[in-house]
Amino acid sequence: MRRLMLVVTSLLLLATPAQAQSTIPVSELTGAGAEYDSTEVTVEGELVGDIGERRDGTVWTQLNDDSYARDPLRDSGTHDEGNTGIGVRIDGSLGYQFEQVGGYRWRGPIVAATGIWHHHDPERGGESYLEVTALEFLEAPRLLTDSSSSFAWAIGAILIVAAALLYLRQRSDRT
Amino acid sequence: MLLRPEADDFRIIGRQLGLISGVTAIAGLIPFVWALIAREWKPASSFLVMVGVFAMAAVAARYIRVERHRLEWRHGMVVVALTWLLVPAAGAIPLWLSGHYGQPFDAYFDAMSGLSTTGLTLIQDLDHLAPSVNFWRHLLHFLGGQGIIIAALSLSSGLGATTLYYGEGREERILPNVRSTARFIWLVAAYHLVIGVAALAAVAFFTLGFRPWRALFHGLNIFFAGFDTGGFSPQSTSIGYYHSAIFEAVTGLLMVAGAMSFGLHFALWRGPRRAIFKNLETKTILATVTFTMLLTMLGLAATGIYSSFTGLGRQGFFQVLSAHTGTGFTTVSSSELALWGGLAFGGMGIAMALGGMASSTAGGVKSLRVGLTIRTIAGQVKQVLLPERAMPSESYYQNGVRRFTPQLGQAVMTVSLLYVALFLLGTGVALGYGFGLQESLFESVSAGASVGLSVGVTDPTMPLLLKVTYAVQMWLGRLEFVAVFSLFGFIYSWIRGK
Repeated sequence: MRRLMLVVTSLLLLATPAQAQSTIPVSELTGAGAEYDSTEVTVEGELVGDIGERRDGTVWTQLNDDSYARDPLRDSGTHDEGNTGIGVRIDGSLGYQFEQVGGYRWRGPIVAATGIWHHHDPERGGESYLEVTALEFLEAPRLLTDSSSSFAWAIGAILIVAAALLYLRQRSDRT
Repeated sequence: MLLRPEADDFRIIGRQLGLISGVTAIAGLIPFVWALIAREWKPASSFLVMVGVFAMAAVAARYIRVERHRLEWRHGMVVVALTWLLVPAAGAIPLWLSGHYGQPFDAYFDAMSGLSTTGLTLIQDLDHLAPSVNFWRHLLHFLGGQGIIIAALSLSSGLGATTLYYGEGREERILPNVRSTARFIWLVAAYHLVIGVAALAAVAFFTLGFRPWRALFHGLNIFFAGFDTGGFSPQSTSIGYYHSAIFEAVTGLLMVAGAMSFGLHFALWRGPRRAIFKNLETKTILATVTFTMLLTMLGLAATGIYSSFTGLGRQGFFQVLSAHTGTGFTTVSSSELALWGGLAFGGMGIAMALGGMASSTAGGVKSLRVGLTIRTIAGQVKQVLLPERAMPSESYYQNGVRRFTPQLGQAVMTVSLLYVALFLLGTGVALGYGFGLQESLFESVSAGASVGLSVGVTDPTMPLLLKVTYAVQMWLGRLEFVAVFSLFGFIYSWIRGK
């Protein structure tokens, strides 16, 4: 019985991906970041906002791991919470190329970022961020469609035209 | 005896609201054009609806025939109170249609927060929001901070304009008439707009390495939210997004400029500049900033949250400056801010409650009132200690020597106490829903003093009554009670008057 349990446990451990074991939610880093200070962590999520290529050769961007990271509200996402993100710093010498990050038009690339978590880094005036040492691209950026509402256009146009006509009539009445 | 308002009173109010609607419709065209150029079709259609609603209201108001044409004090107050209720209602249309809000009231909450320059937000998935809608959120800060009323005054004939000016929570006229004062305020804003946006965009482009268009986008939005002491930000992580001390420094300068009274701006503009430091208001704000800064730093040092002096100095300084100016920008997450207990919490709470200068875009009790409240208390203590027949002469310096009367002291104390009551109101409601005392108090002061810092209570999932309470606090806090109480009085006299 004991041998059987050992075999089952070993199989379960093998079946679990190594990466999933060490992936930490961003909320854990923002809420209890001190516990992870200067340790290697892996976070998984969407790169959003801007690609800031600085003169010191580093690239700064933001990594979100909220529910909108995979499914933005504009796509198929549902109302859930606010965004949860951290700043990530990537050394340019690592050679990663970023063509598109998340925003209005794009769901950004989903990555697994491994690196050293700096909690209140004294060298950067107390900032907290992840210094990336390895980046794995899990999903490519995805273009989000802009679905225009013809109903809203119609209502807006009717209101504007009506306001313009009323205004012109007022002016003609006065003259 | 209560006098029931006549039909003409309603007509006068309606006419003025129409004028303000017209100004807001023109402002709404800016994000509409933006959305068209950027080919953001869905946001463009929502802006068209909003502009249409404002335009229709403006044109309809022109059909109102007014016999007296005289805007009295009570009309002005009611107009101001209604403006701050109705403009967010129509201004929330593009926010709601963006699909980034769970409930229609959440969009209204954000529009109210924007217009009242608070900065608390219920938006979801901000990081995927259309740039034009994001811009509209920040433009609401500019409209509320500089004052749509002020804009309307700049265009109007100025008849009875004084009442609108004071109703918006402004204390003093800088120039002989309100219309020229309103134009001066817009001139100051325009000057800062050019310098501020250029500085922020330059930092974003040259230092942070953003693309030119994005650098300008961030510069523009952060300027509106910083100079108008608003607190919205284009990205979910507020100013922490930029990871740059230089960007924080430029933003800090804009926050300070926004929290300065326009009288002080005028003195800096025209001189004499030395007299600025003689003002009671300047002395008070310098003292309270130093005091709350020390309190927060000591608290942070005691808790050991920051291991280095540079970390403690930079993070503590920015957060206190943001709280005292009523801006609400932050470089730390709300969950981390919630850990700032003890003295640091006290320092932040006091800084938020005290606020900036009178006649500025900042909220809170405001420095002049704080200074005068201290004078009142000190005067009473002096009275007790001096011989009975002694009559201590009381005066203070604020752009000249002014007499300090008991009536003035009483008025100042009343408003200060009203703010305390307002802060307690929100705290009580949050406590009722099971939030802790510290977080309830922090969030309530933040809403009532138009700050916008959050320790996590303000959330789309919070109870509707709490959302309504915070919205009412933002409304009352921004207008400094008088206009809102006048509206209640107007309604009461309409129901019960003869």
